[in-house]
Amino acid sequence: MVGHGESRSIRGREVGGGPRVNYNQGVASHDRPAAAIHALPFALDMTAFLSGISVVCFAASYAVALGCEASRLLFRSGIRGIVMVGFAAAGLIAHALYLGWRAAGTSAVPFSSPADLYLLVAWLLAAGYLWMTLANPRTPVGLFLLPIVLALVGVATFAPDAPSPLLHDATSRFWGWFHGSLHLAWTVAVVLGAVAGLMWLIQAGRLARKEPPIRGFRMPSLERLGTLMHRGLAVAAWAGAAAFVSGIILNAIQGRGGAAPAVPWSDSVIARMALMVAWLVVANGVALTVRRRPGGDRLAAWLSLASLAVLTGWIAWGLVIPSGHGAAAPAAQVVVEEAS
Amino acid sequence: MSTAAAMHVTTLVLVGVTHRTASLDVRERLAFSAEQAAAALAVFRDRFPGREAVLLSTCNRVELYAAGGPETAAPAASELIDFLASCRALDRDRLARSACEHRDEAVVRHLFGVAAGLDSMVLGEPQILGQVKQAWTLAQKTGTTGPLTAGMFQSALRAAKRVATETGIGRERTSIPSVAVADFAAAVFERFDDKRVLLLGAGKMAAETLRYLREAGARDVTVLNRTASRAVELAARLGARPGLFSDLAAELAGADLVVSTTGGERPIVTLEDYRQIEPHRAARPLVVLDLAVPRDFDPRIGGLPGVWLYCVDDLAAACDANRRSRQQEMPAALAIVEEEVMRLMADVHHRTTAPVIEQLKAGWSETGEAELERLFRRLPDLGADERAEIRQAFDRYAAKLLHPPLVSLRSESRTGPPHGLVDALRRLFQLGE
Repeated sequence: MVGHGESRSIRGREVGGGPRVNYNQGVASHDRPAAAIHALPFALDMTAFLSGISVVCFAASYAVALGCEASRLLFRSGIRGIVMVGFAAAGLIAHALYLGWRAAGTSAVPFSSPADLYLLVAWLLAAGYLWMTLANPRTPVGLFLLPIVLALVGVATFAPDAPSPLLHDATSRFWGWFHGSLHLAWTVAVVLGAVAGLMWLIQAGRLARKEPPIRGFRMPSLERLGTLMHRGLAVAAWAGAAAFVSGIILNAIQGRGGAAPAVPWSDSVIARMALMVAWLVVANGVALTVRRRPGGDRLAAWLSLASLAVLTGWIAWGLVIPSGHGAAAPAAQVVVEEAS
Repeated sequence: MSTAAAMHVTTLVLVGVTHRTASLDVRERLAFSAEQAAAALAVFRDRFPGREAVLLSTCNRVELYAAGGPETAAPAASELIDFLASCRALDRDRLARSACEHRDEAVVRHLFGVAAGLDSMVLGEPQILGQVKQAWTLAQKTGTTGPLTAGMFQSALRAAKRVATETGIGRERTSIPSVAVADFAAAVFERFDDKRVLLLGAGKMAAETLRYLREAGARDVTVLNRTASRAVELAARLGARPGLFSDLAAELAGADLVVSTTGGERPIVTLEDYRQIEPHRAARPLVVLDLAVPRDFDPRIGGLPGVWLYCVDDLAAACDANRRSRQQEMPAALAIVEEEVMRLMADVHHRTTAPVIEQLKAGWSETGEAELERLFRRLPDLGADERAEIRQAFDRYAAKLLHPPLVSLRSESRTGPPHGLVDALRRLFQLGE
């Protein structure tokens, strides 16, 4: 859980004792996987291509797709859908290549830093957006999802980006992957649930005002949105709780035999995660309790939105208050600034 | 053929009555069934040989589109009014008073607008396009179509499709039942095949709403009526289950969607009634489409959580908003129609230059051929390949000389029949009439 291995920096700095790497520049001269790529003569162009992909590439693509989504409210266009999906797909591919290149270039646990987590969540949400847009081209889901995707990409550039060191025993690896996967699951579930909740409130408001649908702004039914937000709350609660417990187990395993745990038990990340999980469990419990009561869906919609607000606070806390989990490397290790 | 004769080719005439020009009484009396239209077109063919005609008859319009043949002018509007009046045994003068007439480009513009639903009673309604297609097919079968009507109707279908896809004129619904189902009920429920629909009363609007609900997938429908026998009869007709009006509370407790059209003097479900039913509904949402006047449901019920209650006025207001939305698309639709009209008219105008172009080509070809013969006689040693090469060079030379006047003719055709250029060509190259 503690990141002190070599890493690639999103901000163009190298953390830890490993080689210099800049994600925006993408040079990976000393990393083993990258070195293997360089060993293949025909792969030189591909290496240069991959190293040229930066956060700006896919963030700009998502921004164009978002602009296209917003223009639905202003005018009709025959080619907008193709442009929108094209840019979203291009962004998604660039995003995937960027993440893959980032994972290949580290000898630590891939995607284990907070920055990686946010980028991966953003990628999953962007993939979800593309899938939903292809399935329901008239639903402007991108207006709700893409700003969050862009925000997560933005947050990733400020978040700690030191990955955890490689876990050498099978038990730790299992708990590590389990912990990371559940982290992804609850974060994505909170965002999707909140988007469904917001759309539910907008749709319900329109129906209560007895207005016809806004042109170019056709929402899914309340029934579908209700199901989505309840599932979002449930998955977030269960996955969040399991992520917390698995993290505790992993930390305990790493601290066996008198060794210091990877994350000190007094570290703020533990309290932060415990509070987040407590909120998610309570929110899900309340939503389940009121589901079969009049106004239950409306309350669930507000709880979903509140969960997103709590998640935002949780992320902000992680940015402001230092933690041993995914933080910068210990002082003994030299931070090497990107030379170029 | 003279210029005047060439102009006959372009002549189009339309005579007809529409909901804008004639009362329902006149339209009803003039309306043609498919068989009657086929018979009328057969009579037209015999009475006006060499001319083209298409007869469009719907509940809102009866229109006869006529065109001249290659050597004949289109029938005069008065002749077409006589023809229509005689077909339906109507008073000629009365028909003439209600009829509208268009000629040439105005005919094309009118047809394109009609096919796109821009002249319909409900702006942008799509059924008219199918009716235009049927009218065209019938005329084809009867043998009264020709190049002019073919070009005009094919362009009309293209224009209508463009208007439908490039504007939102036909997208928003405008009838109360369709708005009730598509814009409101479907915004609450994702699917209808697992929902219980309750039909209260036997209003025509209820039957129409049920038709849309069936299309959306509704299967479980119960009909309640104060008269039990009427409920049974209605249920049999609508493929639904009859119920007892005395079981209204129990049926409401189990229903997901209610369509109510009883229209009694007092509401059949008061707020107090509903409060008693509410605990049995397990907070399931309820959509009530109260289409009755006076209303069947106490409007305060709509303020309860989980109840989506819409009365006729609510739905009519939504219909009006949709109509306004359609109206906003009108300029874009008219622009498409105008573009397509210009395209067709340029083509039609250009066709009038065909005889002059043919004469010009033939004259140059004749001269070229004579010169070639003279050249080949003076150079008898030329082989077949060389002769062919020289002949091709002559042809290319003639084609290049002809190209600029052809381009000028096509360009001039965009603004109208190029009479000036055609006359100039005739005089310059001494072409016969």
